[in-house]
Amino acid sequence: MTSSSHSQQIETYLRRLRKGLLNMREEDAREIVEELRSHILEKAAAGGELTLAGVNSTLAALGSPEELASQYVTDDLLARAESSRAPWVILRGVFHWATLSVSGFLVFIVCVVGYAFGGSFLIAALAKPLNPRVGLWMLDNGSYSLALGMTGRAKEGRELLGWFLIPIGLSLGGGTMLLTTHFGLWCIRRFRQARQSLGVAGQ
Amino acid sequence: MARAGSDDRVSPEKWEVQLRKGCLELAILAALWGGRLYGLEILRHLESGSNLIVSEGTVYPLLSRLKSLGVLQSEWVESDAGHPRKYYSLTPLGRHRARDMARFWEGFSASLSQLLAPLGKGK
Repeated sequence: MTSSSHSQQIETYLRRLRKGLLNMREEDAREIVEELRSHILEKAAAGGELTLAGVNSTLAALGSPEELASQYVTDDLLARAESSRAPWVILRGVFHWATLSVSGFLVFIVCVVGYAFGGSFLIAALAKPLNPRVGLWMLDNGSYSLALGMTGRAKEGRELLGWFLIPIGLSLGGGTMLLTTHFGLWCIRRFRQARQSLGVAGQ
Repeated sequence: MARAGSDDRVSPEKWEVQLRKGCLELAILAALWGGRLYGLEILRHLESGSNLIVSEGTVYPLLSRLKSLGVLQSEWVESDAGHPRKYYSLTPLGRHRARDMARFWEGFSASLSQLLAPLGKGK
């Protein structure tokens, strides 16, 4: 095997790593790839020249490029979620965590339900002045429905809150969104601390 | 009634791995206490200065994590090897954290050694 085929092997590994870092900022991903390129070249050529055995053992010690990339991406998404505090960024971070563990999946479900519930009330409160038929409706079959005043089914029921939907929707929706955000951030913080203390990818 | 879950059945080897991993952050901060090092130097330092068996695929993401937490800072430096190296060093927060962790470790290991002393006598 020639030196150029060793280099090709390294480049293939780094390409796979770069592909796994797609969700990260371009500059951060480039820096990670360059740092690992530097590590591989130096370690694989420890005897002065790149050898097949050196390249193979160095790449094996680093592990699969996809798993390595996943560790970086998880850290990046969780760090961004913690600093941004935006619901979609938190959801994105928690969604990635959900792909790693059952606890992540449970946190993701709670966050989705919280944001959906809070978001529905907020949207209904904001839409009420534009379309008075928007409201909390009790349908003839006894079930409650939010904003169904905009559909034909509302004819079968009655609206419960009237204009009170606006203050109630804003406080309930906003409160739920805020609580969900705090819950998501608290879980993310704990998960990051656990990763920090164990130096591992999942929990 | 106590239930023996899967978490309770941790083998000694698994416990040892968890312990080693748990010490990794402190070991990295200690390695950088004397000055800046790049990734491979940190790995070599850990291997020679302790019996920590460190996975390279674990150390690099951890270095990146510590940097994002403001514990470490990094800089690229050109080298004679033909490629630049990314050097890490402790930030003031990192030095503070390293001191705190070392202090805790000393107290913890001393009290645990005291607790373990009868086990040695029973050999």
